[in-house]
Amino acid sequence: MSPEFPYLPDEGVVVVQRGPEPGGVGGAYRAFGETLRGLKTTFARIIEGPVTIQYPEEKTPVYPRFRGRHKLHKFEDTGLEKCVGCSLCAAACPADCIRVVAAENDPDDRVSAGERYAEVYEINLARCIFCGYCEVACPFDAITMGHEYELADYNREDLVFTKEMLLAEPVERTPLRREGE
Amino acid sequence: MTNGEEITLVVDGVEVRAQAGMMLVDAAKHGDVEIPVFCYEPKLGQPVGACRMCLVEIEGIPKLQTACSTPVRDGMVVYTQTDRVQEAQNAVVEFLLVNHPLDCPVCDKGGECPLQDISMGWGPGKSRVIDPKRHFQKPIPLSPLIKIDRERCILCYRCVRFSQEVAEDEQLQLLERGASTFVGTFDDRPYIAPFHGNIIELCPVGALTSDAYRFRARPWDIEDAGTVCTLCPSQCNIKLTVRDERIQRVLARDNFEVDDGWLCDKGRFGYQMIESPDRITEPMIRQGGTLVPVSWEQALEAAAAGLRDAGERTAAVVGGPSSNEEGYLTQRIVRGPLGSPHVVSTYDDAVDRELLLELSRPQLAASVADIDRAESVLVLGTDPMHSMPIIDLRIRKVVRRNGTRLAVATDRPTSIDGVAEETARYSPGAMSAFVEALAAETGAEVYDRAEGELGADAERIAGILRPGSTVIVWAGEPSLAVADLAAQLDAKLLEIPAGANGRGLREVGCTPVAGPGLSETSTGLSPTDLCEALTEGDVEVAFLVNADPVRDAPNGPGWNEALQKAKFVLAISMFEDGSTKHADVVFPAESYTEKEGTVTHPDGRLQRVRPGVPHPGNARPMWEVLAELAGLLGDETGIDSAGEALAAIAQDVPFYARITEGEIGGLGVRWQEREAARNFPLAPGARPERSSVVVPTSHVGTTGGVPGASPAPASDQLQIGTYRDLWAAEVTDRSPALRFLRPTQTLELSPADAERLGLNGTPEVDVRQNGTSLRARVAIRERIRPGTAFLVDGLGDGAGALARHAVEVSAAEGGE
Repeated sequence: MSPEFPYLPDEGVVVVQRGPEPGGVGGAYRAFGETLRGLKTTFARIIEGPVTIQYPEEKTPVYPRFRGRHKLHKFEDTGLEKCVGCSLCAAACPADCIRVVAAENDPDDRVSAGERYAEVYEINLARCIFCGYCEVACPFDAITMGHEYELADYNREDLVFTKEMLLAEPVERTPLRREGE
Repeated sequence: MTNGEEITLVVDGVEVRAQAGMMLVDAAKHGDVEIPVFCYEPKLGQPVGACRMCLVEIEGIPKLQTACSTPVRDGMVVYTQTDRVQEAQNAVVEFLLVNHPLDCPVCDKGGECPLQDISMGWGPGKSRVIDPKRHFQKPIPLSPLIKIDRERCILCYRCVRFSQEVAEDEQLQLLERGASTFVGTFDDRPYIAPFHGNIIELCPVGALTSDAYRFRARPWDIEDAGTVCTLCPSQCNIKLTVRDERIQRVLARDNFEVDDGWLCDKGRFGYQMIESPDRITEPMIRQGGTLVPVSWEQALEAAAAGLRDAGERTAAVVGGPSSNEEGYLTQRIVRGPLGSPHVVSTYDDAVDRELLLELSRPQLAASVADIDRAESVLVLGTDPMHSMPIIDLRIRKVVRRNGTRLAVATDRPTSIDGVAEETARYSPGAMSAFVEALAAETGAEVYDRAEGELGADAERIAGILRPGSTVIVWAGEPSLAVADLAAQLDAKLLEIPAGANGRGLREVGCTPVAGPGLSETSTGLSPTDLCEALTEGDVEVAFLVNADPVRDAPNGPGWNEALQKAKFVLAISMFEDGSTKHADVVFPAESYTEKEGTVTHPDGRLQRVRPGVPHPGNARPMWEVLAELAGLLGDETGIDSAGEALAAIAQDVPFYARITEGEIGGLGVRWQEREAARNFPLAPGARPERSSVVVPTSHVGTTGGVPGASPAPASDQLQIGTYRDLWAAEVTDRSPALRFLRPTQTLELSPADAERLGLNGTPEVDVRQNGTSLRARVAIRERIRPGTAFLVDGLGDGAGALARHAVEVSAAEGGE
């Protein structure tokens, strides 16, 4: 037993095996060789030109099935809302972020085609997980997932989108990725 | 094999134990087998097997059988999943959907619709029908409260059966035949009946929908909150549908022992009163003639100061909807720190304590379910339709299904006269005389048998009543004769109090003749005397707890004057009404949907009222406010929760001893069935000394107590009786849906009197008595006793003051 060990070696003590000291050929390779290997990739990409997108002046196009901010729809011919306020979207929503309060249509001043319409239709986008179940649940194709993804805001309250906001066309259209792109 | 015997049958290979006579649908549930049904509803009586949804295969029977109308037998082997059964189920669903529109997204039933569930679970999944569906005009009002969509109707007969066999209003019919059949009323008249809201709940599809709940919420948007309706003494168990902290509708919460699972329209649509924007939501103090909102501290200080100054010259009036806790704390404040004996909870003349004890005796008390078991029922002095509507349905049920013999003895014709075997009419105010004559007929020797018409009537009624198996449902003038009658017949009594929680309030001490637990106490003034004392100034302060004597007391105008003269009025009220007009301090009251506490059913069942929605505005739990007020007056109650208030009651009311919220639970518990009932202050055999029982003079009728001698009013006069119409209540005025039901003052009289007074064809009359006059419409009713006439009480026009008086009637001057 060596006298340098200030303790008694037993089963709990593991003696560390160290490599050779730095220096020599192996040391030089480690310092320069690996760095050059990395730089090879860098120089190779320089000739491809920049790929940075100048957001927000430029926008990444999205796929047609991209699930962005919801849209509510109207019938093109009559202008009536497709939504009848059935609340199925609210039932399907796993994040519980949709609130629908229905009301009865006035036959002389219809809002939707059926007996009932959504008096209040709110989606809390701060809570939405963009799963698209509401779109699947909707029996009238009244709600679909749009392409807009620029939803950041300064207040949480402003992230509760009302029926009017969801019915309105987005101010700016999100570019769509073309076929094969 | 007798009904009720334990038997064994096999359902889908599982051995199931059931009672003989049970329907297969119910028995299968014991083995966790669900058989789909549409038309089967045990509450409606015998099954009809109309919808054919419940077809099952039974070994030994070649054709499929309807499980809803097949009683189980020992050793029966049933299959509910075989190909034959499935084919039949698929076919039934497919047939139902041939004409049922697929407008589930707009339908109000969507999400809680048995047709949706059954189509999903037992239907074929696909329709082969490409033909057009049948069309009706939709939705059209069936009544002002219900809309009917006939396209959605699957003709299960449930609503028609309810109308024909439960409510027996017989207005709903199936019209036309075959594929053109539809539910409707004769000539498309609106279906107006006091229980018709139940058909909304019965309808298994969205054909009958509530107008008030229309499109309000989906089942996944809502929460249920159970409580007890305190709009009338029925105290039906209800379930509130709450969305966004607002009540959207009221559904029945089946409790066989209380309501049989039905609700009246008052309970079903009356919730709108609670949602009313006119509610008082802040404590208020009168400053310069108007009530101004103040903080609770200020209001409590002002209230305490007002009460402290008056001390024993304070009187409390506790209204019917108050909980036991509110009543208890009020009487504790008045009897304790203020030292006043004046606490009332009704406007009828107070009875003697001995009589009260005799009539409240637990051995005499009938439970509501006792009506089902009785062989005969006597309805005495009240029309259950107006005083306790749900009893009306139960009496109809037992007469129809059990063949129970029904006798009705009242002053005014009742709605159950038609199903009664015998009816008797006495003059308004002559109830005691009639009961005495009836008791004499049944063998009570203390009373003399009556002669003439009264004697004959009493004999007819007595002939119906079966000794040992009778329930007497009564209200009105309390007398020892009622107890004697019950003792003679070995019958049980069910008293219908005037207030919703009348029994509970009396038992926690809100009566001038007895303290908590009907204990002995110094006697206070009776309501009539109290009104006078307030006017005279002998009593200076009125403390109104959920009470509006100006509207509810028979002598409304008298109370108006009394409250005006009072030095200080503290009112706890939900709305600004005739009584808060005179109040100096007003606390916002809680409704039964916000309150936490207990109430006592007329049959002694303690039930819990539980909060379902938050308090409006600054309103606070009233037990808390009253406990604080008691503290300010020097009685540190130590009550910090509704449970502790109940514990305090349990301590002071010996026959409620040790009762807890947990024991009361969701369905309530009758105190007579608890061990503590032994603590009732009257020993089982003891009868009060006859001479010690003082019958108030005004109870003896206008004839001076001569039995049978009906008053003979002058030839141009009529003896007036009043009745509190079901709809003559604040809830009708405050609920938009019910407002159309508000009664107008009507003088009901017999054809003979109409002829005699020349009122045939007169639309309106002036009713005059001793200088006062009121206008009423004329209604000629055949079943009214000649010489008597009736007015509606509770409309705030002082009709109650005319009760038991002879009046002069003449065609209205300057009327239409």
